[in-house]
Amino acid sequence: MRLDPADRLLAIAGWIARPVVYVGLCIPATIIVAASFTAGEVLRFPPEGFSLRWYQAALSSAPFMGSLWTSVRLACLATIGSLSLGLCAAMALDRYRFRGREVIRNLTLSPLVVPMVVLGIALLQFLASMKLNQTFVGLLAGHVLITVPYVVRTLSASLVLFDRSIEQAAANLRAPPWRVLRLVTLPILFPAIISATVFAFVTSFGNVTLSIFLGTSQATTLPVQIFTYVEQNYDPVLAAVSAVVIIVTLAMILVIEKVVGVEKVA
Amino acid sequence: MAVRASQVETAGARTRLLLLLLPLAAFLFAFLVLPMLGLLRTSFLPGERSFGATGFSFEQYVKFLGDGYYLGVLAETIGFGVAAAFVSLVLGFPVGYSLARLPPSKRRWRLIIVILPLTLSLVVVVFGWLVLLGRNGLVNSVLVGLGVFETPQRLLFNRAAVLVVLVQQFLPFMILSVMSVVTQISPALEQAAANLHANRFTTFRRVILPLAMPGILSGMTLVFILSASAFITPRLIGGSKVQMVGSLVFEQVTAILNWPFGSAMAFVLLVLTLVVTIGTNAALARLFISRGISRAP
Repeated sequence: MRLDPADRLLAIAGWIARPVVYVGLCIPATIIVAASFTAGEVLRFPPEGFSLRWYQAALSSAPFMGSLWTSVRLACLATIGSLSLGLCAAMALDRYRFRGREVIRNLTLSPLVVPMVVLGIALLQFLASMKLNQTFVGLLAGHVLITVPYVVRTLSASLVLFDRSIEQAAANLRAPPWRVLRLVTLPILFPAIISATVFAFVTSFGNVTLSIFLGTSQATTLPVQIFTYVEQNYDPVLAAVSAVVIIVTLAMILVIEKVVGVEKVA
Repeated sequence: MAVRASQVETAGARTRLLLLLLPLAAFLFAFLVLPMLGLLRTSFLPGERSFGATGFSFEQYVKFLGDGYYLGVLAETIGFGVAAAFVSLVLGFPVGYSLARLPPSKRRWRLIIVILPLTLSLVVVVFGWLVLLGRNGLVNSVLVGLGVFETPQRLLFNRAAVLVVLVQQFLPFMILSVMSVVTQISPALEQAAANLHANRFTTFRRVILPLAMPGILSGMTLVFILSASAFITPRLIGGSKVQMVGSLVFEQVTAILNWPFGSAMAFVLLVLTLVVTIGTNAALARLFISRGISRAP
């Protein structure tokens, strides 16, 4: 193939852009993990020495451990909530044609495009009027709202490819409907359900923009706790805590990778 | 697919549909529709407090859109959104394109690198950048080590830093969006162009770019919306130097407690993002019509 100047420029641009992007994308997380092992008193890079003292400090810090527990509990409950609401709705949207179908679908997906800060203050005001502000229930409702779009989107994509003649075959063999669901439908949807679960979990676990509005004084989520800390000052404890968040998130992605393959998510 | 979705005819089907759909529909009505309507109502209240306030006025919108300072913040917000969208396009296109053309085995780790920032908590990412760009950070160590600067510089709390961090957070959306359209462009088209003596640049301009346009536009829209509604990043990375509409809303609601004004600003932000979304969708629709139905296989 001939190479003229324009082509060479294009090739060079690609050669520069790709490494810059990959390094840029993983550098914040890498820096945090590396800096968290510092033996020194100050958060700096390159770190001084190696120690696990800041992990010990993080583990014995009541605010961080308390908020980590809150976040895990919230993410689990939000995932269960959005998965049960979303699975039913995705089935209904896929298998029935009715008036208002597109309206419901767009409404379900809309929390993805409405700015989070707008959702945050709308929900805060509404919850306050219901006397539910500063409660765990209010926070949970918000988290279900922002995770349900991921669930519906992932499951809908999988349902479009679903071959319903398999279900019919099972029904012809006299399997009652609930058995068809348990032995045929759900197993086929299993990879999609796993990736929806993981996505809902990490979205809720990492969310700060909504939690910051709906957060309660008794139960602060970990990202909000990190935010409050960062605003004042930051020391290596924060790096250790953030490293834990990074590891949890990475582990979840690897779960998707093992079960479904990352290709499916992207 | 042998079986098609059923029309809702029988009473049994209607009951099943209701049972499946009602929980989510009721939830969305209660926690999305009602709150948004409530917010819209509050934004038309006069005065500075929403509690017990009555009446209807455009006072808050006039205050926002008639004030040079607020208009400046709005312009800055749009500016950040546009800049982040274009920088993401320039950086994200080559990556998305190469990902689409890589064999799956080579793609795996690269995709994990792309997906991690999407799923990682925003504060953790921002904190990483604070460490990276701080006075004792890696960038300063490198710059001082290379002798570019004598002493560590203040790299945070300016617009450029905010833009870098916004791009890093939302670039994955662009990459994935480009990747998903490019996978659908057959490599045979590029070979055909090469056979017709088009160089890579011409092929890129005349074949790939037009076919990838839907992905490019939707990626840019997403990056714009997410950047324009950011408030954690400008607050922590930009400090007091950088104001965006999102951070103003946050301040009005959490510190100043002026709900009507905060709500009005939130709605301006919402309308801005809606206009951009609808505009892109219209542009995409026009693109399809002008190209006809015979798109690339």
